[in-house]
Amino acid sequence: MPKLTVDSGDVTVDLLEDETILEGLYRNGFAYRVGCRRGGCAICKVDLLQGEVVYNRPVAENVLTESEMAEGTCLTCRAVAVTDVRIALREDNLRRVSSLMALYAATRTG
Amino acid sequence: MAVMRMGYMHVKVTDLAEAKEHYANTVGLYQTLEQDGRVYYKGWDEWDHHSVVIEEGGVGYVKCGFKCEKPEDVADIETKAIAYGYPVARMVAGENPEVGDGIRVTLPSGHQIEFYSQMTAWGLEVGTHNPDAFPRHMVGIGAPRLDHALLWVDDVAGIEKFFMDCVGMWATERVQTSLDDDAHTIATWLTIGESNHDIALLEAPENKIHHFAFEMRGWSDILHAADIFSMDDVPIDIGPTRHGITRGTTIYFFDPAGNRNETFAGGYRCFRDRPTVVWTPDQLGKAIFYHSRELNDRFLTVAT
Ligand code: FES
Ligand SMILES: [Fe+2]
Repeated sequence: MPKLTVDSGDVTVDLLEDETILEGLYRNGFAYRVGCRRGGCAICKVDLLQGEVVYNRPVAENVLTESEMAEGTCLTCRAVAVTDVRIALREDNLRRVSSLMALYAATRTG
Repeated sequence: MAVMRMGYMHVKVTDLAEAKEHYANTVGLYQTLEQDGRVYYKGWDEWDHHSVVIEEGGVGYVKCGFKCEKPEDVADIETKAIAYGYPVARMVAGENPEVGDGIRVTLPSGHQIEFYSQMTAWGLEVGTHNPDAFPRHMVGIGAPRLDHALLWVDDVAGIEKFFMDCVGMWATERVQTSLDDDAHTIATWLTIGESNHDIALLEAPENKIHHFAFEMRGWSDILHAADIFSMDDVPIDIGPTRHGITRGTTIYFFDPAGNRNETFAGGYRCFRDRPTVVWTPDQLGKAIFYHSRELNDRFLTVAT
């Protein structure tokens, strides 16, 4: 099960199989700025600092270009980690909205 | 009256199979044609061949069409649009399946808007002879008809003037920088008939589509639609709630490609001598989302 680390390493969550980065963070009680959750609006982009992701759906070229992808931009609502990954949010902070969810997520995956 | 309504909206979707599932089984539209990678739909209370077109490959706006009453009305818009200085091209019958001759105007924002007066008649799902109130086996939210769209454009005032001077629309509501006469227009809601708006324009750095909307029969159908969205795991942007602007009740939600859709019901009847309502930016939260009185950060940042 791939591990997802955000920013400087203060937040780490386990990702379930086939789960997108966005789904994994929300399931663990975190929130950040997202839009359509369906790969259309480009708002959920982050920097992929380490690791590899695949996309679970075709992604529109005007949302995420090949060169952006090559340079480490990651569309979190469609990206599924295939290795442990480390990401950094852009112009936004990760917010913990539910510590209860974090607790239960840890029980389930840990 | 030249233009009668927004007749169709054509958007791109990343995955045709998922989009078909959404528009047919969640939104409850009726598929009337699938051809050349495009799928055509109509709502149950619409009589023309189609009102929504989806096409695979990418996401976002392709074009929309406004239906005029007569061919002369299309010709009149053509003359006025050329005089206004916007590029106009002729389109011939069949270029859009089941749609007659017309014109295609390209706005400075790049959005293409088509005007036509003929489309193959399909018929209401309830028929016109002693009809029932709604189809007995409605699917999903059972959206009756396409209503309006909100476009992101870089020049609201110029494009608003086009819709007013060349198409015959008028503004029911506006958001402007102040109440002064020389205030800058940030957004406008334009109507052709008695509905609150057939098209709205919002000033934005990119030329895109913010959403297109289906008219629902009332608040209880809006609530029911939200229930269906939960069942079908459709991302809801906001709602059910009310807009201060137009007083319409609403849900914003996303199709599987990320295009924003809306269910809209209510609002007030508009007549051409009705004074235009004006909102100022300090009240924008209440104007857009009347209950939370707060703009969510997606309203001004998320579009396709
Ligand atoms: S939230 Fe819209 S592209 Fe990810
Ligand atoms: Fe709307």
